[in-house]
Amino acid sequence: MKKSSPFGPVGRIAVQTFLVLLVAASLLPLYNVVTSSLKSIDEFATNPILLPQVVVWDNYQYAAFAGKLLQFTINSMIFVPGAVLLYLVVCILAGYAFGKMRFALRLPLFLLVLFLSIFPQLLLATQVFKLVSLMHLTNTGWGVVLTWVTYFAPFGTYIMTTYFADMPYELVEAARIDGAGPTRILTSIMVPLAKPMTATIAIIGFQSMWNELPFSLLVLQTQEQRTLTVGIAMMRGEFGLRVPILSAALVIAMAVPMLMFFLFQRQITLGVTAGAVKG
Amino acid sequence: MRHRGLDTDGIAPYLFLTPLLVLLVLFILYPVGMNFYSSFTQWKGYGPQKWIGLANYGTMVQDQSFWASIVNTGLFILYIPIGTVFTLVVAALLREGIRGWKTYRAVLYIPNLLGYVVMGVIFSIYLRDDGALNAIIRAISGSPIHFLIDPFLAVNSIGFILVVWLHLGFGIIYFLAAMNGIDRSIYEAAIIDGAGFWKTLVGVTVPSIRFAVEFFIVFNFIEVFARMFSFIYTLTQGGPGYSTFTLEYGIFDQGFQKFHVGYAGAWSTVLFLFCAVISVVQIRLMHRRDA
Repeated sequence: MKKSSPFGPVGRIAVQTFLVLLVAASLLPLYNVVTSSLKSIDEFATNPILLPQVVVWDNYQYAAFAGKLLQFTINSMIFVPGAVLLYLVVCILAGYAFGKMRFALRLPLFLLVLFLSIFPQLLLATQVFKLVSLMHLTNTGWGVVLTWVTYFAPFGTYIMTTYFADMPYELVEAARIDGAGPTRILTSIMVPLAKPMTATIAIIGFQSMWNELPFSLLVLQTQEQRTLTVGIAMMRGEFGLRVPILSAALVIAMAVPMLMFFLFQRQITLGVTAGAVKG
Repeated sequence: MRHRGLDTDGIAPYLFLTPLLVLLVLFILYPVGMNFYSSFTQWKGYGPQKWIGLANYGTMVQDQSFWASIVNTGLFILYIPIGTVFTLVVAALLREGIRGWKTYRAVLYIPNLLGYVVMGVIFSIYLRDDGALNAIIRAISGSPIHFLIDPFLAVNSIGFILVVWLHLGFGIIYFLAAMNGIDRSIYEAAIIDGAGFWKTLVGVTVPSIRFAVEFFIVFNFIEVFARMFSFIYTLTQGGPGYSTFTLEYGIFDQGFQKFHVGYAGAWSTVLFLFCAVISVVQIRLMHRRDA
């Protein structure tokens, strides 16, 4: 059956043209970064926008080694997955408690978690910085991991809660009758069933933490410990740093998120909608 | 069935919640409380903390950068309806089964993927007077547009890019998913009635996905009040002057660059109140949908 459409042939062409222009406008800044990163500094001065006449890789070498981007990438690759693991444990435990367990403070505590989920990092930063240094965690992976997990866990918990709440309660009841305790029900029945949503919040958590700036900036103050995102933000402020080098740094920083996108597009799409569109 | 009277799961749920609650108390509740306390003190973030009553609030209401932050935030809010309508229109166009719609959807999502820091730095290069966009503009009109130098253009560039442009991909995926849930027969009825694209969008699509539209608007409010810092920090650093300041940026500036931590606490109180209102609106929206 032919799909009915409100557009005539002229309308369809107009819509296609509009969308192509929109996508082109959206890609232009990215194109600009990629091409600039391949130009020598001299060429960039006279040719800021067209394709490079001579492709050079020096900017990448400079950004990766002298600019320490390679080091920062490794740091992010260690801190972020570590934090995601802890985040999953926290969100699954709390999501299961809110979604499937019965206790007196369920609603007030759940509302509190929701209420705390949107406050900006800057509102917390001064005291978080003090606490982290009191715990001797400044400039450590643990310092960022704990602040990231706290900051992003309310949202992950909310998603896991709605997911667990939608599961049939008979699953819990049947397991109970068989004599399983709450921990066994969670680990051997609920966690395996929640795998798809766990994958989704893992990807959301990864993206959020990978791109997080304020806490990382305050907790990781030595250059050796910086994450990729902090490294990029600090590079932008460096006086006299040439655009082609900064562009190469940006392309390096874009690599992991883009790779994630190609690998996990389905989870990312699900993650966008998991938060609010339901039913 | 759920209603089982007083039958509860005992202490287990509290144990399961302990990790989350400990972290929240330590890194969110306690900081919010301490900020409020320090807003009544003179404090550099270390050393002695001197009680000065409401003096910080007095300074704040006379501080031009504070009012600039409020006005800028108001301006960004004005971009929210523009962004919402634009996103809805693009999503509705893609819904019509336009060839290649999945590719468009994926490409437009890329900025959301890369995050505000990378996008902020990218736009700081792109919008410079000698940047790529101005190379094009110069070729057409002969003279560049000072996007990041002119205060009015700088703040509007941020408003447009952050609220309208960067969220487009996110909003499209979000609205398309919501539109998928609409009963096909309603559309077919509209087409039989001879309703065109715009009439269908306004009369059928938007009313059917009202919750998604409301969530998207609340989401944008959260972005404007609570998620913009990274973008401003990397694009304009609050400047020129304080023409692109927001409450978040002001707290950073006063607290971490000038070490007026007590004073930053007063700004924090204002930001907290705004965020608390948004948070309550969001919770009510969730409640209304789930009910």
